[in-house]
Amino acid sequence: MAIDLYRIDDRLIHGQVVVGWGQPLNLGFIALVDDEVAGSEWEQELYRMGVPPDMDVYFATPDEASRLLDQWNEDQRPGILLTGDIDTMRRLIALCPSIKTVNLGGIHHRAGRTLKLRYVYLTPQEEEALRALERSGVVVTAQDVPSARAVPLDDVLRGEAER
Amino acid sequence: MTASAASLVAPSLPVHTWVEIFIRQLAVQASWNYELLLGTGIGFCLEPALRHLTGGREGEAYRAAMARQSAYFNAHPYLTAVAVGSLARAELERAPAGQIERFRTALCGPLGSVGDRLVWAGWLPFCSLLALAAFGLGAGPVAVLLIFLGLYNVGHIGLRIWGLRVGWTHGMRVAAALANPVLRHGPTHIARAAAVLAGVALPLALERIIEPGRALLGGVLLATVVGAALITRLHGRVEGWRIAVGVLAACALYAVVAR
Amino acid sequence: MTPEQLFTVALLGAVIGLDVVSFPQAMISRPIVAATISGLLLGDPAGGLLVGATLELIALETLPVGASRYPEWGSASVVGGALFALRPTPTSGALTMAVLGALATAWVGGWTMYVIRRFNGAIARRWIPTLGLGSGRAVIAIQTAGITADFVRGGLLALLAILTFDPLTRAMVGLWSLDARLSRAVVVAAAAAVAAGAVWKLFHNTPGARWYFAGGLAIGLLLLVIR
Repeated sequence: MAIDLYRIDDRLIHGQVVVGWGQPLNLGFIALVDDEVAGSEWEQELYRMGVPPDMDVYFATPDEASRLLDQWNEDQRPGILLTGDIDTMRRLIALCPSIKTVNLGGIHHRAGRTLKLRYVYLTPQEEEALRALERSGVVVTAQDVPSARAVPLDDVLRGEAER
Repeated sequence: MTASAASLVAPSLPVHTWVEIFIRQLAVQASWNYELLLGTGIGFCLEPALRHLTGGREGEAYRAAMARQSAYFNAHPYLTAVAVGSLARAELERAPAGQIERFRTALCGPLGSVGDRLVWAGWLPFCSLLALAAFGLGAGPVAVLLIFLGLYNVGHIGLRIWGLRVGWTHGMRVAAALANPVLRHGPTHIARAAAVLAGVALPLALERIIEPGRALLGGVLLATVVGAALITRLHGRVEGWRIAVGVLAACALYAVVAR
Repeated sequence: MTPEQLFTVALLGAVIGLDVVSFPQAMISRPIVAATISGLLLGDPAGGLLVGATLELIALETLPVGASRYPEWGSASVVGGALFALRPTPTSGALTMAVLGALATAWVGGWTMYVIRRFNGAIARRWIPTLGLGSGRAVIAIQTAGITADFVRGGLLALLAILTFDPLTRAMVGLWSLDARLSRAVVVAAAAAVAAGAVWKLFHNTPGARWYFAGGLAIGLLLLVIR
């Protein structure tokens, strides 16, 4: 079945991922790619608590994920790959050019970021990083839950999709 | 998590502070917004506990803690009680600020995910289906209200109280408490019980609602099966309630135009 | 419709609308509760329950997960219960129009919740520097503003919806030509299809759920036969 969704969401594993996407996709595993979480046992323990007992969670740094991606894609169960920020996804894609779609699921308010969608706030640098991803052939859309419309990056960056 | 982060001897708070925290818990989402989500709500709930820091409301410790605790946060509203309990203890034990912030961030996802599975996708539909079954069996308005609100809120209030207690007891070691079998396996058991209830409730409730249309039961059943199949096929793309709006609007229009 | 009835619907819409997210989330905002209370206060509790049960079947599919947008069932169900309770004698299109009015209100209500969240965001943005200084008063002010705005939102929504849909329902029911049996059958089929889809959506990836559902269905059908 392979990885169905490559998602950037600063909340990492939470209800929208496990219930919102997990139920329709019949999710079997989540690959959580994050340098800090990959090196922190207590955080891994917490994130494991957030998924049903029959769902696997794999923790990896972008380097490790690039080596494991083929293995995850050969898994018979549907999966989601999550990163907490744009930079981690960008680093992963640089190592794995086979990734051709990216979902913006939640990048929330922080100093320096401006509102683009109700769940997407970006700094100018992050906007440029997303544009660079699209220029390299990756399709970037924003969609928080499956029943919502997938908003193309151009519309996200214009900040008009929700107004 | 280092042992210094959470000592085994808990500090104590007066009962009236806990009562105030609990009541504020019920309004944790009062200022929900897309910038901080329910971050301000966490600060609001913790505020009565933080007054017990050295220097009180005007003290530096209070101000530093309030600033930390009012930043972005997201979780299931009922399970924010776990966060409030454990963060209150961490702050009163003067755990390092950086460690508290990292712990606070890491709590968001798991408390959201566990709560969504346990409550929104489990306990709520279970209680809802039980109320529908009672309605289908002929229960009157007051009985249906008492059954639904009584049962649902035993779970709701119980979960909030449990959350505060377990958070306060374990502090920043709360991950182990979240491995509680009720949280780990509860959603599956509740979902199975709710599936049984769904089977019982749907035919009974429909039979009571249909009343004058009983003569058309065969057609209704056929339309239900076809409609449900369509909705499940469109799952994740179109929500059923939107289809229902379309069908009922078309029916109403036809009913007045075809005069 | 009397001013007292209008006031009752608006006040109930405000209190129950508040329960959806802001305070206390005790689920008095579920359709089966909200519509029944509405009917109870307007003199037709059984009618309110009928509308509430129908809306509850439809609302089963809505999971308020994360920060997603979803219909606001609380104030909407108050309106639905009132629309049915305000018809003095049951007529063939009354349930259809009550459910339709509630669904439309829920739809608009979802948008009003989005507006409130943006309003709360604007308030929070204004206070962010003060929050950064650790002001407890700022936190209390933001929470109070949010709860007040949501209360007003629910009340206004219910008031405007009842002012719109009550005359519309009266006119439509007066012109209604569809047979009472068929009218009811359409409502039931629509609600049942959404409910059955919701049950599948909720439980299809729970191991063994289909067998548990089948067992329950057998019990339900048996109860129908022996009653």
